[in-house]
Amino acid sequence: MKNILLLLFLSAPLVGGAPLPADDHTGKPACCGLSAAAVPFTKKSLYQSEAGFTTDAGASFSLGELRGHPVVLAMFFTSCGYACPLIVSDMQAIRAQLPAEVRDRTRFVLVSFDTIRDTPDALAKYRAMRSFEAPWVLLHGNANSVRELAALLGVKYQQEADGAFSHSNLITLLNPEGEVIHQRAGLQGGIGETVATLTTSCEGK
Amino acid sequence: MNPLQQKFHSTSTALALVGLMLAGPIFVKAEAAMVVMPAGTYVPLLRATKEAARITVAPFLLDECPVTNADFLVFVTVSPKWRRSEVSGLFADSSYLEHWSSDLEPGPHAPPAAPVVQVSWFAARAYARWAGKRLPTTAEWEFAASAGYTRPDGKNDDALKKDLYGWLARPVPAVLPDVATAAPNFFGVRGLQGLVWEWVDDFNTSMVTGESRADTGLDRDLFCGAGSVGAKDTTDYAAFMRLALRSSLKANNTTTSLGFRCARDISLTPVKP
Repeated sequence: MKNILLLLFLSAPLVGGAPLPADDHTGKPACCGLSAAAVPFTKKSLYQSEAGFTTDAGASFSLGELRGHPVVLAMFFTSCGYACPLIVSDMQAIRAQLPAEVRDRTRFVLVSFDTIRDTPDALAKYRAMRSFEAPWVLLHGNANSVRELAALLGVKYQQEADGAFSHSNLITLLNPEGEVIHQRAGLQGGIGETVATLTTSCEGK
Repeated sequence: MNPLQQKFHSTSTALALVGLMLAGPIFVKAEAAMVVMPAGTYVPLLRATKEAARITVAPFLLDECPVTNADFLVFVTVSPKWRRSEVSGLFADSSYLEHWSSDLEPGPHAPPAAPVVQVSWFAARAYARWAGKRLPTTAEWEFAASAGYTRPDGKNDDALKKDLYGWLARPVPAVLPDVATAAPNFFGVRGLQGLVWEWVDDFNTSMVTGESRADTGLDRDLFCGAGSVGAKDTTDYAAFMRLALRSSLKANNTTTSLGFRCARDISLTPVKP
């Protein structure tokens, strides 16, 4: 047994388990002066997650690409008839109320629960319908990635027989390191606190 | 034994071999024994009115026993980021593997053949991925656990109920027993009930807020689609315990009585009769 373990230990670098480099996507402009490749993610950063997604433009996307930007993030699905339109409208209202210099840096991220119907194409149609501009990031993921992100955010969800999803109504703020700094649960909370938290967190940076 | 089950049993050896091949050059670790589970149904304890009363479960493979300390030691040995001293707080809370003597030494409180506990959902999932498997879904787990020792419907199995409620009444022992001490159920799966609680992949489906006063009618403000959930079977006390546990957990939580086992899809086309 000891010999086997020793063998496994010696071969460890070959068999994975080592942390991925913090930023291994090349060919994209570094966003904000952070030398992403050199600095590992913080211990609280959601960007430690290796969950992979696809944008509505069909490009593969890891959450770590958001590093350097404040992020307003929610999970949703495009065919949702009740809460999701309200959540998205609230995110648009948050964006409208931010001071210009904060607004320009912030990314607004929507990740779909619906791994089957919300394909990148369906998300692209949703972008057009909602007139989302470039700072909006719409993400499709497989069941594993969506489940992992939900677990990281504390979002609960369940698909019902008619294909719709029951889900937590949650808007999450991430700082530029990808750490959760605020969550608004429910639909009635208003957006003032979210706007204030985001604005304060960006002051002096 | 129904015909479908028999059919899958006949292909199980081949499946195990394929599984080993798929696992590839990853490790010397002995492949944990898996049981071929037939197709079945799961009746959710709580369900939305729009939800089907019975959820169909496709045939799948399920570990015969929970993952042991010895199994998990191999995993952390080759995966430094999942060692106790190196794991990120995002993925496991501060009591992760706390009962182990050190990073690579389970020690006297964690015998090799006892189920590993004090592992988070993220850690359990990472182990499963490393092993070429996945965590079972709630529906799969509950379907497997619905069997008695000698019959597919455990609700009428007095011996199982006696063991289960005895276990629920006892405090968690300081040192857990070996997984092999748990008797196999009708499907040949050991320790689903009466050994440790187990993570499932979709533990975060329970739309319960954790605030008991708020949960009499689920809050439409907090949960889209809620307000439509009602209890199905109020006699299954242990199922309520599991639901309550899953609802209260965060994915980085670890407890002294919470372990896991792995499942795997059956990807080969079943043999035609």
